[in-house]
Amino acid sequence: MNLEKVVFGFFVMLAATLNFGFFIGDIDDPTVHNRYELYAAVVVNLIATVLKFGDRTQIGAVHLATSLVADLQLIAAAVVLVWATNVSPEGVTPSAMASVVSLSGGALLANLVSVVLLVIETVSYRRR
Amino acid sequence: MSVEEQAPSRAEVRAAVGPQSSEAVFLVLRRMRVPLIVLLTLFAISVLGLTLIPGTNPDGTPWRMGFFDAFYFMSYTATTIGYGELPQAFNDAQRMWVTLSIYLSVIGWAYAIGALLSLVQSRPFRQAIAVTRFQRSVRNLREPFWLMAGHGHTGDMLGTWLDDLGKRFVVVDVRDDAVDALDLGTYTADVPAIVADASTPDVLVQAGLLHPSCVGVLALTDDDEANLAVVMAASVLRPGLQVIARTSSASIKARMEAFGEPIVIDPFDRFGDHFAVSLRAPATEQLADWLTRAPEAPLPQPHDDIRPGPWILYGYGRFGREVTRDLRREGVEVRIIDAGTGLVDEPEGADGAIVGDATRREILDQADISSAVGFIAGTDNDVTNLSLVRAARRANPSLFIVARQNRPENAELFDAMGIDLLLVPTTVVAQEALAHIGAPMLWQFLQMASHQGQQWSADLIDRLVERCGTGSPELWEVALTTADAPAVVRVLDRHPIALGDLLRDPLDRTSTVEVVCLMVDSFDGTVLAPPDDLVLRAGDRLLLAGRPAGRHSMESTLLVDSSAAYCLSDEPAATGWLWRRLTREDARR
Repeated sequence: MNLEKVVFGFFVMLAATLNFGFFIGDIDDPTVHNRYELYAAVVVNLIATVLKFGDRTQIGAVHLATSLVADLQLIAAAVVLVWATNVSPEGVTPSAMASVVSLSGGALLANLVSVVLLVIETVSYRRR
Repeated sequence: MSVEEQAPSRAEVRAAVGPQSSEAVFLVLRRMRVPLIVLLTLFAISVLGLTLIPGTNPDGTPWRMGFFDAFYFMSYTATTIGYGELPQAFNDAQRMWVTLSIYLSVIGWAYAIGALLSLVQSRPFRQAIAVTRFQRSVRNLREPFWLMAGHGHTGDMLGTWLDDLGKRFVVVDVRDDAVDALDLGTYTADVPAIVADASTPDVLVQAGLLHPSCVGVLALTDDDEANLAVVMAASVLRPGLQVIARTSSASIKARMEAFGEPIVIDPFDRFGDHFAVSLRAPATEQLADWLTRAPEAPLPQPHDDIRPGPWILYGYGRFGREVTRDLRREGVEVRIIDAGTGLVDEPEGADGAIVGDATRREILDQADISSAVGFIAGTDNDVTNLSLVRAARRANPSLFIVARQNRPENAELFDAMGIDLLLVPTTVVAQEALAHIGAPMLWQFLQMASHQGQQWSADLIDRLVERCGTGSPELWEVALTTADAPAVVRVLDRHPIALGDLLRDPLDRTSTVEVVCLMVDSFDGTVLAPPDDLVLRAGDRLLLAGRPAGRHSMESTLLVDSSAAYCLSDEPAATGWLWRRLTREDARR
């Protein structure tokens, strides 16, 4: 067992699960989307991105690309949420919440691709 | 080389260079993983803690910091900016957490910056940067350049001359100090250099072997095997490219010649030839030596006192055998002495060699040194050679002394000893390589000149000195074609011209430019040191020697119609395009 692979797999999975946890629930209902979960998703996604740095293989490059997409979407979601909470006079309206959650949904797709890549990598490794 | 052949080579360059060019970036990313993750984690914990710890409003009601405020606060605190703007005054619980966060973030930053600095200073990283920079500068070369494998003393000497001639080159050398010396060197042009093993084809490709502007390869390392590998790689990967290689081994030379048509320079063989020519006609050797020297080098002293009597040679190794063969071919008696080390092939003593230490008087007497005219100290050890010279001089002060200087660092010692003829293998190789690179016709000229007599060479030297001074002249070629000499070709269409007219000064046709024609190569054959009344025809190729000013004046005769008409036919010229058209119309009528 390779500890590096464990850590890598752990963070990729955790990024996807946290993202999923935030995303699930009514899209415009602020009460079912925990902002701590979004925060954790952002942090874990960033760590997962850093873990993918410096891999020169083709699959490594795609890994990094999907992670960067997820980061971008999650950070955008966080910015929209902060804007709605702190700046916007209307506060967190259902429409603002909907855009936050849909952004995180996009990130979730990227994270799922990451997980699929991880699985593909594992399977092809076994086969060799 | 045709376009079809070049196209795939360029693609190959990119393929070979591509994956390595971003090496440094990958190295940074890979090495910075852990520091970045540590930094990220510490930052994330600090922000999270700030949002979780209950604060208090000024009116005493409980208040929690939002993610945005926490992120904002930690951003300016962790980066040590310390902006100091707080959304609400902190209570003690928050202060405790912030204190902890500050220490955590300082540790995180110190670790990350320390890791980055040590990475920047680490050897693999610096190497990766050097490789990237080297590849970029080679790729961006637009002028023709030479690929020099090995930048030792030969390469240094040759590099200086090439630089003087305005030619570019790229250096590959295994030794760090050789490449470092380049940075401190005084070359005018930028010389891309890399520390790598030139016998690896990949390295040669990185150094521009397949680059369209690469005009030739110089294999000048100390290692014969490496030179062979360079010749091989060059001829296989880029057939038809000019290759100049150095070796002092006959078997390596034969193997090199199996690959394409490399110019193989064996310093011992060449020195033997020069020596033989010196014996026959000292001025001829003086001329050849002078013309292959660096630009503006002074006229070397002729070895007039060299005589074909009995010679004594010490050291019957590769060098000794070459020289002996060349001397005996000239009918000169050679007495060989060897300590025995050079006679491994024939331990009983080859070719009547006396076995013994020549610094001892009785051995020298055994070779009858008093009747000899010259002594050759030819071992591969400079200290031995110097002590041999001293011993031989003591035995017979009138000897002509020839010595082999192996290490260029010992030049002062050999100078002080007053050696009559010195062999420095590195200089021989550099001069010879320059003769091949500078003007391809020069080599042909030197080959033919070596068969000329003493008087012929002395006359030519006199003519050169009279017209161009004692600094070694610049050498160049001119072809009487529409591309090289359009104005002259237009005159040739009307009437034949004499060589002397071509060398007239375009400012004053009664005087001559500082240029001497060494050779004319025409369809009918080759003329050495042609007389001024030689009739030139279109398509002739000329090898010229002269001062840069003379070359400049002559260029105007070659290119400008008015100058050409003035010099060549002393008639008013039709200068402009329109006027030329009109006069040609007249002539046709």
